Amino acid sequence: MSYQHAADNWFSAIIIALIALAVLLNIARAKAGAQLYIRRIPGLDAIDEAIGRSTEMGRPVTMIPGLTDFGVVAVQALTIFKYITKQIAKFATPMRLLTANATVYAVAQEAIQDAYNEAGRPDLYDPDDVRFLSDRQFAFASGVAGLLQRERVAASFMFGEFFAESLIFAETGNIVGAIQIAGTISFTQVPFFVAACDYTIIGDEFYATSAYLSREPVLLGSLVGQDIAKLLFVLTIIVGLITTTLQGKDHWLVKLLGMPGGWEAFWKVISKVISGGS
Amino acid sequence: MWQIETGTTAGKIYVTLIVLAFLVLFMGLIPVMQVLPPRGRRALIALVTFFAGLVFAAEFFWPVNKQGENWLTPAIGPAQNTLQIIAAMALALGTYGLIRLHLRNIVQQRSQWGYSVVLIVAFVTMGFFSVWNTLAEKGVLSKTVVLQRGFGLLFDNMLVPLESTMFSLIAFYIFSAAYRAFRIRSIEASILMFTAMMVMIGIVSLGNIISYQWLGLPVEQTAEMEKNPFSLRNIGYNLALPRIAYWILQALNAPVQRAIEFGVGIAGLAMAIRLWLSLERGIT
Amino acid sequence: MEKQTIWHRLLMIDRRILYLILFVNIIIFLLLPVKVSTVTSPPVRRFYDTIEQLKPGDMVMVSSNWSAGTIGENRPQLEAVIRHLMRKKVRFTVISFEPQARDISFRFVSRVTEEGGYQYGKDWAHFGFLPALVGGIKGMVKDLPATIKQDIKGTPIAQLPVMQGVKTLADYKMVIDVTPAGTVAAWIAYRPKDLIVLFCPTSVMAAEAYTFLDSGQVAGMLTGAIGAQEYEQLLQREGLGTPFAKAISFSHALIILFIILGNVALFMSRRAQGG
Repeated sequence: MSYQHAADNWFSAIIIALIALAVLLNIARAKAGAQLYIRRIPGLDAIDEAIGRSTEMGRPVTMIPGLTDFGVVAVQALTIFKYITKQIAKFATPMRLLTANATVYAVAQEAIQDAYNEAGRPDLYDPDDVRFLSDRQFAFASGVAGLLQRERVAASFMFGEFFAESLIFAETGNIVGAIQIAGTISFTQVPFFVAACDYTIIGDEFYATSAYLSREPVLLGSLVGQDIAKLLFVLTIIVGLITTTLQGKDHWLVKLLGMPGGWEAFWKVISKVISGGS
Repeated sequence: MWQIETGTTAGKIYVTLIVLAFLVLFMGLIPVMQVLPPRGRRALIALVTFFAGLVFAAEFFWPVNKQGENWLTPAIGPAQNTLQIIAAMALALGTYGLIRLHLRNIVQQRSQWGYSVVLIVAFVTMGFFSVWNTLAEKGVLSKTVVLQRGFGLLFDNMLVPLESTMFSLIAFYIFSAAYRAFRIRSIEASILMFTAMMVMIGIVSLGNIISYQWLGLPVEQTAEMEKNPFSLRNIGYNLALPRIAYWILQALNAPVQRAIEFGVGIAGLAMAIRLWLSLERGIT
Repeated sequence: MEKQTIWHRLLMIDRRILYLILFVNIIIFLLLPVKVSTVTSPPVRRFYDTIEQLKPGDMVMVSSNWSAGTIGENRPQLEAVIRHLMRKKVRFTVISFEPQARDISFRFVSRVTEEGGYQYGKDWAHFGFLPALVGGIKGMVKDLPATIKQDIKGTPIAQLPVMQGVKTLADYKMVIDVTPAGTVAAWIAYRPKDLIVLFCPTSVMAAEAYTFLDSGQVAGMLTGAIGAQEYEQLLQREGLGTPFAKAISFSHALIILFIILGNVALFMSRRAQGG
């Protein structure tokens, strides 16, 4: 039996429900007018600076959503790129959005067109600025590297899921002298971005970007809900740590939290506790 | 109910009715969407999104039988197949966009249109031999010497070395990036540099040579060393470069990664909930 | 104009010179007949010991998802793994979730198994390319012949002698994931509970797997060409991992040397500027 349903792993079922509750409650709080705080993220403050630099130099901006399949990560990346495009539209700076996934390409075309429309500059939209290069990792890498070199881009934004090709993008951008801001959920690519880019957004800062840039109540509320969920995890770890240290691995709480199984396993432990067994 | 027996007459009628219903729905949906005001359109999209996501969420939470399935489980396979089909159609769209761009470059003789010629020629040649090869594998066409030589030349002698070459660029880029970035400019940069150097030398044979052959540190931990953890031999054993590198990866890297993955996982779940409930305005 | 000292020149060195030095370094140490032995790291030792526990006739799934780009790291791993499996006389099937990996792995494993006297269909089989990783694993957990249907040559799975008695993924003892991507998380999440997972990633992806190693969800790991070298040493059969790891080893030494040089140059140039 594998963990394919909530019934196979009661712990994940409850945790998912709790996280969803935390997020939705805080979205409601934010919509009701609560003032929510978000700390400064230097990399995101530098976006406008990078766009300004590109405009001054008259060289294009590139946006790369990585090798992301269409999903949550791609939607977040495109949300960020839509914001960047709206800023670019103010200055009529040329841009290129390069994708490695055809579905992302199709959605990106619509998103970028919408961005130009919302910025009041539909005339600036050129469908050829959003390009599908290849779905092969290194064919995509060589296409991006080639474009960065040929067009001498002044700013490069890399947001999404990246694999080995990340350093090819980042170092090529460095060679042409571009200001580079990268954000990824790919843990293993963070060192490459840190070494080669000017600013790096790590882990869930990537998901916080849309909240940071737009300051929309729904997104800020969701961010606070996520933080509460993280606190919940930390508390669980601390409780488990203290219990295991003081009471040993056979304590019912350690068994309950450390040995998720189906609902039968859950009720078995609970009924033993209630009946006074160990 | 999610799997249709297409061999039987009833099954064939069922499939025909479903296809017709989808056509009517699709054809009817376009005029409806045009007539509806923007708020109505958004509400309709939100409704469809909600019910589509509800299938997956309900399938996960619904109680299961002894076989580990519930009434929604058979729907997941066809749903995932549908996603694959959409991805394949999108690939055709993406390829069309690529070819259109480069053909336009050639026709209008835009800057560097020569590269566009190379792309089109490579695309057509590789596509021709790939399709021929696939049809030959299925027995539709015969596997001739021209096919074998042509496909072999393109795949083994061009594609494979080209992809390997691109990957190997990373080694050179790491060198220049490390030379540029690993400088003692601040405390954090210094920690980054020393840690990277420890791991780089510890995980390769050179770390073994330095620690075990040159410095003569113990290779394995004996029972006596375990009994005396603060003995010189045990300290030496733990200070070997490979052990330090492994400790950095296991005791520093892994917990940090877990922490980041927790945050990413929770944020991903939150975003998925927002998309499902159409709370995310983002790209829509 | 300020006179450029050697330290300034070192700081501003053209990257093409660095690339040339690295290139020469790699070529020299690839070709130099220097024997470099290594001590087996714990993840590789666990990998080896896990396969050693297999009995003749056990079923193993090899998930080969690497393509031409990572041939330098994943090929030595796959070769060493296949040879070890043949030594243990286990049955194995190969599957790919990446289109290019299908052809590469089939041709490569065919060559290696021919050398080892293994017969296709009787001792091993290749399931071809399956497009969806998670859907594929879930399907194989439920009903493998219905999910895979036919092997790479078009033969129905149920007709292959190697598949005797195999109905689902639960009939396998272990899965070995040879990949440059993060596919191991899907295997861990959706596999049958008792299916052992072994992981052969590229060096870049290995850092992600230490959490799984710690928790025991991954029983063992070979890290790139270096892991392949250590594994070849345990198997006492030198393959491509050993010379590749040797070149990597001395390249790391070169990089560290230049990092130290760069910092010395920075320090000296600051001193020169300061007076």
